[in-house]
Amino acid sequence: MAKKLVIPIGPQHPALKEPASFDVTLQGEKVENILVKLGYNHRGIEKACENKPYLHDLYLIERVCGICSHSHATCFLQAVEEIAGLNVPMRAKYIRSIIGEMERIHSHLLWLGVAAHEIGFDTLLMYTWRDREIIMDLLALLTGNRVNYAVNILGGVRKDISEEEKGQILKAMDVLEERTKYYAHVATEEITIKKRLSKVGYLSPEDAVKMGAVGPTGRASKITRDIRAEDKYAAYGEVDFKVISDDNCDVFGRAVVRIGELMESYSIIRQLIKKLPVTPLKVPAPLRIPAGEAISRYEAPRGEDIHYVRANGTDKPERVKLRAPTLANVQSVSTMLQKGYLADVTIVIAAIDPCFSCTDRMIVAVNGKDEMTWKQLRQHSIDWYKKNRGVDFTKVKLGIK
Amino acid sequence: MENNHPMVEKIISKYPALSDKIKIQRENRLWMKIDYPDFRKFLEFAAADLKVDIFCMLTGLDEKENYSFIYHMADLNGLMLNIETSVPKTNASIATITDLHPAAELQERELTDLLGVTIEGMPKGQRYPLPDDWPEGEYPLRKDWTADRLDKKAEDING
Amino acid sequence: MLLALLSILIFPGFLFLFILALAAEYIDRKLYARMQTRVGPPWFQPFADFIKLLSKELIIPELADRVIFRTLPLVACAAAATAFLFIPVYNAESIFSFKGNIVAVIYILTIPTLTYFLGGWYSRSLYSLIGSMRVLTQLFSYEVPLLMAVLAPGVLASSWTFSTVINFYQANGFLFLVNIISFVVAIIAVQGKLEKVPFDIPEAETEIVAGTFTEYTGPLYAYFRLAMNIQTISVSALLAAVFMPFGYNLGFVLGVIVFLLKILFIIVILAVIRTIFARIRMDQMVMLCWKYLTPLALFQIFLNIILKAVITQ
Repeated sequence: MAKKLVIPIGPQHPALKEPASFDVTLQGEKVENILVKLGYNHRGIEKACENKPYLHDLYLIERVCGICSHSHATCFLQAVEEIAGLNVPMRAKYIRSIIGEMERIHSHLLWLGVAAHEIGFDTLLMYTWRDREIIMDLLALLTGNRVNYAVNILGGVRKDISEEEKGQILKAMDVLEERTKYYAHVATEEITIKKRLSKVGYLSPEDAVKMGAVGPTGRASKITRDIRAEDKYAAYGEVDFKVISDDNCDVFGRAVVRIGELMESYSIIRQLIKKLPVTPLKVPAPLRIPAGEAISRYEAPRGEDIHYVRANGTDKPERVKLRAPTLANVQSVSTMLQKGYLADVTIVIAAIDPCFSCTDRMIVAVNGKDEMTWKQLRQHSIDWYKKNRGVDFTKVKLGIK
Repeated sequence: MENNHPMVEKIISKYPALSDKIKIQRENRLWMKIDYPDFRKFLEFAAADLKVDIFCMLTGLDEKENYSFIYHMADLNGLMLNIETSVPKTNASIATITDLHPAAELQERELTDLLGVTIEGMPKGQRYPLPDDWPEGEYPLRKDWTADRLDKKAEDING
Repeated sequence: MLLALLSILIFPGFLFLFILALAAEYIDRKLYARMQTRVGPPWFQPFADFIKLLSKELIIPELADRVIFRTLPLVACAAAATAFLFIPVYNAESIFSFKGNIVAVIYILTIPTLTYFLGGWYSRSLYSLIGSMRVLTQLFSYEVPLLMAVLAPGVLASSWTFSTVINFYQANGFLFLVNIISFVVAIIAVQGKLEKVPFDIPEAETEIVAGTFTEYTGPLYAYFRLAMNIQTISVSALLAAVFMPFGYNLGFVLGVIVFLLKILFIIVILAVIRTIFARIRMDQMVMLCWKYLTPLALFQIFLNIILKAVITQ
């Protein structure tokens, strides 16, 4: 059994919900080396942003990622608003924070389910995703959409939260808080979960700083950094919350941090709803943004999201650059997997809550040298079926009559 | 611009020449420009003396004659120091900072792929983020680059 | 001769087994779904799945050994079904009975596992290779405690033949309850044999795609799935005969009903275990089997030897 095997995990693999590639070199069941390949999801968003007006960019950037769409949109807008000198009304800031926290709840519940699935505990997956429906329905009620909420506009928000909706949010928070307490109990007491998560994917605090780990991944390694507390953007300066951290430095710690953050989010939303001030929802925004530059930071569910915008006085930005949290976290994966088992690879990857469509943002479809065109590909499949199956597809017409 | 920020005072006491190149946008946002030859020394100084040692982001910009790079650095208190530096397009090459900040690796690779900047001293590894069969000499983030260049190239190859 | 053929093909042979196997899959899936607050499949779903898989395209990897690749699923099915023929259903005698048939059944039941290993090995795919190595490692971990646990009741009855064991316990009232320790050991080991959570390591979807079965498609995969289900029934029948040796003298109708209830009981236990645990790692599995299950099974054997001495005095 001395032979070394190289197992490809990705670009397509049941454990990965998005394309990325991890080539794992194995010695028996032990991991010797891991090679990370990224970039399968590059869609050209940064380049595209330079050719579109700010208003269009907002919707484009919202589609950087499905799960943290609000994070990216808010982060981008904060930068643009800073350049334009817009004074966003308080109520709009509160609503942005409320939606942002709900997004965090939905993302963390999703993560809890995915992590459970990676270690074969589908029951927890089904439970958490059932509860995720509550928050998704709530988001649909508040914004009209389950995923890309599009609640932001330049200079404010597009939709208000009514008294009736406030009541529904508070009710949902009570239900979710109770359920989360139960999951915290399950995830920290159940013996097989503990066995699978403890001491797996160890990332020492020193390595975490060095590799630039952010968000729950960093906080599980004793780094108590939270942009909500550091930068006090939106309405976070007006609420009390704890920065959850943990000293386990392993996957178990990352789960504990995320569950703790869920509880904090419920309390933040309650405070925000209670204090929601009465102001207009938006200020008028100019089409042309004066020349200038700004950088905006945002604590997305997965960690620190950074957007840099440079404006040149026209209605289109000169340069937009974003760094999603996963890009910062993915570099620590190979450190975490040193001397681990194959069985741990996927849970460790999942533990940083990777979002590769966030990480990669830019590509234009290209035909390289040996690639087939659509016509060649079709011809190849027709020939293959003729030769191997005796079926002739040439008479089949494409399209609708 | 008034220079009454404690960190700005520290910087100027060490680098008096920078006094008119630092901008305080607001409490937690500092912008500064520095010539590329001095950049590396300054980065070490920032990490050691200013405790601005968290690498956040690296932005590459295509300006008319230069490539500019903004190193967005942060400290533990939420301050963000944005250090801008630039090299002429005729000599588009910078040294890696991965020995100081390993976290910068992917973002430096991004510069190589998207802007066509040579990074000296980069450890071997996978390219990022463009695919392996991406045609040579195509750098999408350059201002003169448009996507139809690729379509044309593909037509030439596939007929 | 005709009667023998009938009992092999229809009752309690292949047809009966086939229906039971599909029913077992349905019960398992439905319970699993209900416990996860899902709706679950309709009653005909396992059969529909079977038919669907039969009609799917069969793809054999180019590097794979075509003959072995095709034969293995049928061997697995046959072995799992054969084991059932030696296990008593409604009376103490099985259709084919001979001395020491408990041991024989255990050995026949290892054959499907070996075919999973070979199937993965001959697929020549990386995931299958790792899966098949895991199948083998797992086999060596659970087989020892399983064997000792299943043989422990026979120690007290001084025989490893189904009919003798069953008659002994039926004559002795509630004496079979002393075997509860080895019953627990056997249930856990069986979960490993059937490759279900927490021991679905050889086919851990999120690590190695589908493990040994990665390259199997269409009809061949259908037979492997069927083999797995038949194995569930055979193993449950084995546990029922050894650990619940009662109700074998009630006649045909009542006997079959009691038998089905016992199997249902075991399937429910297996489904509950599958619901409430996460998958453990290979090294943890080996540790569990050798550090906890094997000593427990050994303890049961010693207990039964001492009990036997007490009873015979």
